[in-house]
Amino acid sequence: MNDLLIAGGIGVAFGAALECAGLGDPPKLAGQFYLRDFTVLKVMLSAMLTAMLGAFWGGRLGLFDSAAFYVPDTYLLPQLVGGLIFGLGFVLSGLCPGTSCVALAGGRIEGAATMLGLLAGLLLVGLAFPAIESFYRATPYGPLTLQGLTGLPYGVVVALVTVIAISVLAWIAKREARP
Amino acid sequence: MKWVRQLGISALALGLGAPFAGSSFRAPQRGLDLDSIARAIDQGSDHVSARQLAEWIRDRRPGLRVIDVRSPAEFRDDAIPTAENVPIDQLAKSHFAPGQTIVLYSQEGAHAGQAWVMLHSLGVTQAVFVPGGLADWREEVLHPSLPANASTAERAQIEALSHYFGGSPRIGVEQGGDMASATQTGQRPRRRGC
Amino acid sequence: MRPLRSYADPHLAGVCLGLVLLACFALTGQGLGASGAFASVASGVISNVSPETAAHSAYFRSYLQDGSPWTAWIVVEIVGVLIGAAVSAALAGRTRSMFVRAARPSAGKLFASVAGGILMGIGAALARGCTSGLALSGGAVLSVGAWIFMGTLFLAGFVAAPLVRRLWP
Repeated sequence: MNDLLIAGGIGVAFGAALECAGLGDPPKLAGQFYLRDFTVLKVMLSAMLTAMLGAFWGGRLGLFDSAAFYVPDTYLLPQLVGGLIFGLGFVLSGLCPGTSCVALAGGRIEGAATMLGLLAGLLLVGLAFPAIESFYRATPYGPLTLQGLTGLPYGVVVALVTVIAISVLAWIAKREARP
Repeated sequence: MKWVRQLGISALALGLGAPFAGSSFRAPQRGLDLDSIARAIDQGSDHVSARQLAEWIRDRRPGLRVIDVRSPAEFRDDAIPTAENVPIDQLAKSHFAPGQTIVLYSQEGAHAGQAWVMLHSLGVTQAVFVPGGLADWREEVLHPSLPANASTAERAQIEALSHYFGGSPRIGVEQGGDMASATQTGQRPRRRGC
Repeated sequence: MRPLRSYADPHLAGVCLGLVLLACFALTGQGLGASGAFASVASGVISNVSPETAAHSAYFRSYLQDGSPWTAWIVVEIVGVLIGAAVSAALAGRTRSMFVRAARPSAGKLFASVAGGILMGIGAALARGCTSGLALSGGAVLSVGAWIFMGTLFLAGFVAAPLVRRLWP
């Protein structure tokens, strides 16, 4: 019960943050792919930087145990192909699974349409699963991280990612400052 | 937009400081939670039978990780399908995600039990071990003796599981009396990644 | 009609989102998610309609074995997202203006939304996560798979964008 209360609370905050950023607005999201509106990249990079730096320094200062944070398993080929298919769907509907809920909550019918499509897509995968199961489980690498892949210390990878993300954000700011 | 710039600069400072912060992981200070260990042993939630493990592997239980704690040489010789080799001295350095079910096994089970206590002291509480180890796997899963008083359905179930892993049941043979067959199974070519 | 209220600064909203993600990690050990809720609901629907079909697919089984799929952690989280976004939109006065614009969606655009949803469902199932569950949460803990997913997602998006230009005038 306690877990579900946390789930609901986290969800409310998650939804409110997405809505405040304007990510319930399909033209805004699709605008990213036409380099008209950089909201998606700005929000994603800022959020990831905050969480990554927070996890690193929070763990370092002993606020929580960041070694226990769940690292998703890497499956090279399924995730490569999944990303391609997902990107195609993203630009078609102008929403992703999380933001489709935000769009619906803001009164947009496109949100509900995307949610229906998502359910249908996942049902399709579930029904066809015996046929695609071998591909689904192909090329497993376990919970592989960038520091595990490169052999660099955790802190160095954090620094590199920070520098790259800040450079991209600075480039966007410069581009938008142009008349 | 001045504060956005400040936000970026502080993020950059935190990021560039990271390489000099050393390991970000808290030093292991948890120690042994003796009460919870005693409770787990008492309730039997510390172990899992070889047959149950076989069913988990066959049903592809999500988040299942089968860990062989023996030496790499022993692991190369024969191992449970889908298992990964993490020798005892590597155990403390390994990373275990909270959602995973960790199943430990060794040759006879003693080392796996010790590894279970080690993981518990590191805060990995979602681990179980196979008490009889690889020996149990051979006797209960690969070459089980079908109990004489079992029903046909029960026998079929045990047989199917054994065949799934490439073994064969010993029909009508009493358990423990067949040394020849036991040494023979030790020489079987291993079958991995079912 | 009230004018459309402007959104918060994306950087600031991003930092807030990052703090929510960090809180989620610290409290539960796992990150945020979205597509998993849809998969859980889809499994729940299938197991009600045809339990044999659900039992036949290991994908559905994986969502059905830990209690009811309707009260799974991630489903409750997504219900929270709906509530949080609705409250935030209403408080900021963004609900009505958005609804007015959505009142006349063309059939073509609705079809594109559904088709996009289906593709994203398939992609998220293969990749084991979506933009929130894999790209954002996994990216923050530096998972290799999350960065691969993010890279191919944007690659496909940029390549496909000129082809569907008609949808986004």
